[in-house]
Amino acid sequence: MAINLLIVDDSSVMRGMIVKALRMSGIDLGAIYQADNGKEGLERLDAHGIDLAIIDINMPVMNGEEMIDCMRNRPDTSQIPVIIISTEGSETRIEQFKKKGARFIHKPFTPERIRDVINELVGRQNA
Amino acid sequence: MPEQLNEILYQVAEEILESLAFMFPVLDEERKKIGNVFVCGASISFVGPFSGRLVMLASETILPDLVKNMLGLDTGEEVSLAQQHDALMELLSIVCGNALPAVAGEKAMFNLDVPKILSPEEYDALMKKQDPVSQITLELENGQTDFILFIEEGHLSLNRLPLA
Repeated sequence: MAINLLIVDDSSVMRGMIVKALRMSGIDLGAIYQADNGKEGLERLDAHGIDLAIIDINMPVMNGEEMIDCMRNRPDTSQIPVIIISTEGSETRIEQFKKKGARFIHKPFTPERIRDVINELVGRQNA
Repeated sequence: MPEQLNEILYQVAEEILESLAFMFPVLDEERKKIGNVFVCGASISFVGPFSGRLVMLASETILPDLVKNMLGLDTGEEVSLAQQHDALMELLSIVCGNALPAVAGEKAMFNLDVPKILSPEEYDALMKKQDPVSQITLELENGQTDFILFIEEGHLSLNRLPLA
């Protein structure tokens, strides 16, 4: 079954890179929705059936951490798996995100890394 | 210290330019810094054990290729100025996010601001305000790029050197 994805990043180039990597990864993709920031991301979650969210941290308007907190506090979005793709390099900060139930992918990333993390999260072996 | 900082910044920038944009730079210590002639620049501020900002300057000639390589576009495809600025800021953000733990150690926590495009006036004001602690020039196939590190608060100490 194809996965519907949401990509939240204020950089359109980075969103394009993530889409490119997803297409190269061999994951069975459904619809790919995109948002510029956490606030728009929450709106996309309200409007569409999304199986997994890929979220950046440093964004204007609403950052990724605030978006994840909002998702976890809402019953309809609390169980959606989250992958953070960020430049964040601190082990301490990465541990904090893991405690919020998010997986972490460091920029720069490879299609293989994205595939492996998505497969772990959704329990599928699409590759 | 400046040599070690330059080496760290160079290694991080080189790795990211290669892996993200398929651009293969060489360190060019002889070439005149393009910081003296403003081309296109972006800046990102950070706060942590030490605070400051990292600036990236790039020849305009490399920016379209940067976008095309990052997005996997064909060479003939047009890219907008907004995309070029976006790619510059994203690359700078990634270099900064990787360089800071390489300098301060992986347990050090930094908060990175959202990167922004730097106007020539802002760049001039920055250079007049203080001297950078590190500045490197990387030679690329069709242009060059400078990375310039400013520390505005706190003490910078090298806690980890990257592996050679």
